[in-house]
Amino acid sequence: MRRRLLILFAALLAVSAVPPAAAEYADVVINRAAEKNGMRPVVFPHWFHRIRFACRVCHTELAINPRAASNIITMSDIIDGKFCGACHNNDIAWGVDRCDICHSGKRGLPSGIVGGHETSGPGRW
Amino acid sequence: MKARYFATLLASAALFSVPALAQQSGKDVYSKVCATCHATGLAGAPRYGNAADWNARAGGGVGRFYQSALQGTAKGMPAKGGHMTLSDGEVKGAVDYMLAAVKDGLKLGKAEEAAPAKAETKPEPKPEPKKAEAKPAPTPAPAPAPAQQSPVAASAPAAIAAAAAAAPSGGDVNAFNRMLKPAGKRNLPPPEDGIHDPTVDGTHALQPPLAAFGTLPKSFAGNRVNWVEALDKNKISPRADRQDPNAVPVVMDLNVVREVKGSMPDVVYPHKQHTEWLDCSNCHPAIFNPQKGSNVISMAAILLGEKCGVCHGKVAFPVSECRLCHSKKKEMPAATAQGK
Repeated sequence: MRRRLLILFAALLAVSAVPPAAAEYADVVINRAAEKNGMRPVVFPHWFHRIRFACRVCHTELAINPRAASNIITMSDIIDGKFCGACHNNDIAWGVDRCDICHSGKRGLPSGIVGGHETSGPGRW
Repeated sequence: MKARYFATLLASAALFSVPALAQQSGKDVYSKVCATCHATGLAGAPRYGNAADWNARAGGGVGRFYQSALQGTAKGMPAKGGHMTLSDGEVKGAVDYMLAAVKDGLKLGKAEEAAPAKAETKPEPKPEPKKAEAKPAPTPAPAPAPAQQSPVAASAPAAIAAAAAAAPSGGDVNAFNRMLKPAGKRNLPPPEDGIHDPTVDGTHALQPPLAAFGTLPKSFAGNRVNWVEALDKNKISPRADRQDPNAVPVVMDLNVVREVKGSMPDVVYPHKQHTEWLDCSNCHPAIFNPQKGSNVISMAAILLGEKCGVCHGKVAFPVSECRLCHSKKKEMPAATAQGK
């Protein structure tokens, strides 16, 4: 029994050591500029947004390239109503004054798409 | 054979006088009875492996959990999970099993209560030989990893480090599907998902995925949500236009069949399900040339994140779901037609 507990605990430890494995499928960590500027990385949950918007809204209308880390998104763009700012404007969704809701990622996470089942390699989008 | 079976049965009845049959382990009871609600959080049950759910109820310590399991709660937990044939020991074993899954995140009301409660269940007859192995576990070894702040880690960091080294991927090294994410680790709420910082208030303001997925059709991969079916059945109604809630997408109903090598069924690519979400320009011409026969697609390219792999394997269902794409059965080869 004790042994089993220990093994279970070791499993939990192992999981916490490799954080993105438990993340939701298609969560995107955006840390191109955030941490250099003293903010936590942004976590973008695809699942939440796809319940509300078709892919085309962001990937066509808002011109967000589906390739991770290929979009240069700055806070001034967002304040100007581009990219996230098209909705995150205190009208459709919370605005830029609620920093920590978007900037809620763990420090030190690299940019990229997480959550398992990831296709990867040199041609990676 | 039959006689021997009955003899064994009689012998076990003599050994475990009360319920005639050997006592089930906590894990068995969990998977047969408790998992119905505690795997998914049905009716607000604390979910297996979800520390936050259990912490919210941990004020009374382990004893309180036993009491709730044995006698039921006003919130909807039936006494003994509705299975009155279970012995008290079996129910407690199942509670222990569920608590073990959230051990490192659990802050029990009274730390010292945990130990005597455990001891109380120990003497019950357990058919598994696990107890014998309990002793040699804490070997004095240098702990390379810094111990986490949980009380368990503090008490036996060396043993945990040793166990972690023995089973890096978690659990029994020879278990089935040991690389797969167990049910309790899917769709975790943001504070536990490993990428959100639980110390930030914003993390706790975010919606947990399961709160949204409850009514959506299930699938076997990705978010474990069948998004296409969810859209078909109007379980979700994503806007096709940012501003206009009534805008309808330009749907094109055209299937493209791609013949593939070997015995794998041919691929049927449905434009319909794709255009419900996407514009033509999302795929054409950058990813796929809209000219028949001009695209070279291979599973290798997809796995490298090209072609279908731009979305499939990241946000759309992954390549593990072979038959969702490879869905058109091939004509049988000439050998069958010729017959004999």
